[in-house]
Amino acid sequence: MKRSTPYLLLLPALLFTVFVLVYPLLQNLLNSLRRVSLIRGAGDWIGLANYEKVFQDSVFWLAFQNTILYASLGTLLALLLGLAFALLLNMKIGRITNIMGFLYTIPWVISPVVAGFAWKWLLNDNFGIINHWLISLGIITEGITWLGNPTTALLCVIVARLWQFYPFAMVMFLAGLQAIPEEQYEAAAVDGASTVGKFFHITLPNLRSVTGVLLLLGVIWSFNDFNMVFVMTRGGPINASMVLPVLVREFSFVQFDLGKGSALSILIFGMLIALSFLYLRVISRREPA
Amino acid sequence: MKRGATVLLLFLIAALIMLPILWTFATSLKPLPEVNTYPPRWTSPSMSFRPYVDMFFYLPFATYTVNSLVVALSATALTLLIGSLAGFAFARFDFQGKTLFLLVFLLSQMLPGASVIVPLFQLLKEVGLYDSLLGLTLIHTAILLPFVIWLLYGFFSGIPREVEDAALIDGCSRLMALRKVLLPLALPGLGGTALFAFLGSWNEFFFALILTTSDSTRTIPVGIGLFVGEFSDVWNQMSAAAIFFSIPPLVLFLMMRRTFVKGLVAGAIK
Repeated sequence: MKRSTPYLLLLPALLFTVFVLVYPLLQNLLNSLRRVSLIRGAGDWIGLANYEKVFQDSVFWLAFQNTILYASLGTLLALLLGLAFALLLNMKIGRITNIMGFLYTIPWVISPVVAGFAWKWLLNDNFGIINHWLISLGIITEGITWLGNPTTALLCVIVARLWQFYPFAMVMFLAGLQAIPEEQYEAAAVDGASTVGKFFHITLPNLRSVTGVLLLLGVIWSFNDFNMVFVMTRGGPINASMVLPVLVREFSFVQFDLGKGSALSILIFGMLIALSFLYLRVISRREPA
Repeated sequence: MKRGATVLLLFLIAALIMLPILWTFATSLKPLPEVNTYPPRWTSPSMSFRPYVDMFFYLPFATYTVNSLVVALSATALTLLIGSLAGFAFARFDFQGKTLFLLVFLLSQMLPGASVIVPLFQLLKEVGLYDSLLGLTLIHTAILLPFVIWLLYGFFSGIPREVEDAALIDGCSRLMALRKVLLPLALPGLGGTALFAFLGSWNEFFFALILTTSDSTRTIPVGIGLFVGEFSDVWNQMSAAAIFFSIPPLVLFLMMRRTFVKGLVAGAIK
């Protein structure tokens, strides 16, 4: 066997990765240091002026806050919901849990565009079923414009995101639950532990590493998520639900300022790198043999 | 008694979870005047599959569908081919820089689309692949690769080395062993991986939105995503398009649920 064989096998994959990872990042770095317009092309080198433009833009700070809220709250709620459903499905009550497990995972398989669309329609102020139910129950007297209102828009997108992401947490938690050795529970039962005690002293500690992976992946993926906000609100009304990935498109392809868009891209990348290293540290203990 | 309560709870939750999809489905069967009425109703007297036909005349969904299929199928084939070579290298060889390469692939999986989109847009424009199916296919292949490699690495590692060694002793070359022995054994894993790749490309919206611009290259999600903003008054046809677009993912998921769940878990915590 030749020593070069593994490298030759990796070569095509590496070429692709260089083309989406290394090249764009370097090019972005260059872009961010010069004037680049979508219409007029590349211009003078202007140092860090593009970064300054980003920092001076109040929408950036708003989007930054929104992204943190979207990533943290969305992920946390999805994990809680996922854990609750996993516990429910792990109760061995026959075939029904199989069918339910299937139904409960469906939101994850659906395209984010369809998910965003469906929620937008549910939340429609005039003909949406959610407003109708709230009015019928006497909670509100007239329809709320959920996605057109600055205080509710982002929260609604978070709900939709939650709906789409919890199945991933659920499936992972379920696998984690099923990997807990039965003996641990039997031993605890012999010692007279209560159901609650078993949950806190056996179940939760055993799920610790899965939870770590889920938290990080969830935060990273939500941080990167463009689709849900774009489809449901486009970042509006008046940027109230703007998040960073949507803002990159806004800067680059709506304001035609590719330099500013690139500067923001580099900033996002920096934040992500920090999160990714955290993720690597969590999983490095469990690499395949 | 306790079981009965649990089953009831399970059903209630299922109904809530399915609500967005069921409501979209109900909408997709109604004529427009019955969609735009208050109070909203689940059924209407004249429900039919009419919007599923009309949508093809409202927007060029036939072209979008062909485009989506072409891109998703080619990206899947390409990713699997390139990914299995790399997965094989990682699972069966020890070489310098292995950890570094793994790290690069792992990190590129975390990469936000937003932080590479501008240069990719410029690059595709320069080489003449902007607004083309080939360009989109290559981009999809590139973004799907890291996860596919990671999955295949896991599957290949799970197959005992002895099986292959036996083939080598029988006079197979290393690549022949990959093709004749390892690949057939990894077939279930490959199937699951193909499913992931297909769905990943089929559902992908961000790159497809920004890297295509004409009706002849748009994919279905771009059609739907743009449509929501621009023509949001035809909710019934729009719902029909959304349901139509969701059929392949749902059918694939129904057929391969086990592999799907296994692959999901393997990819994230292996």
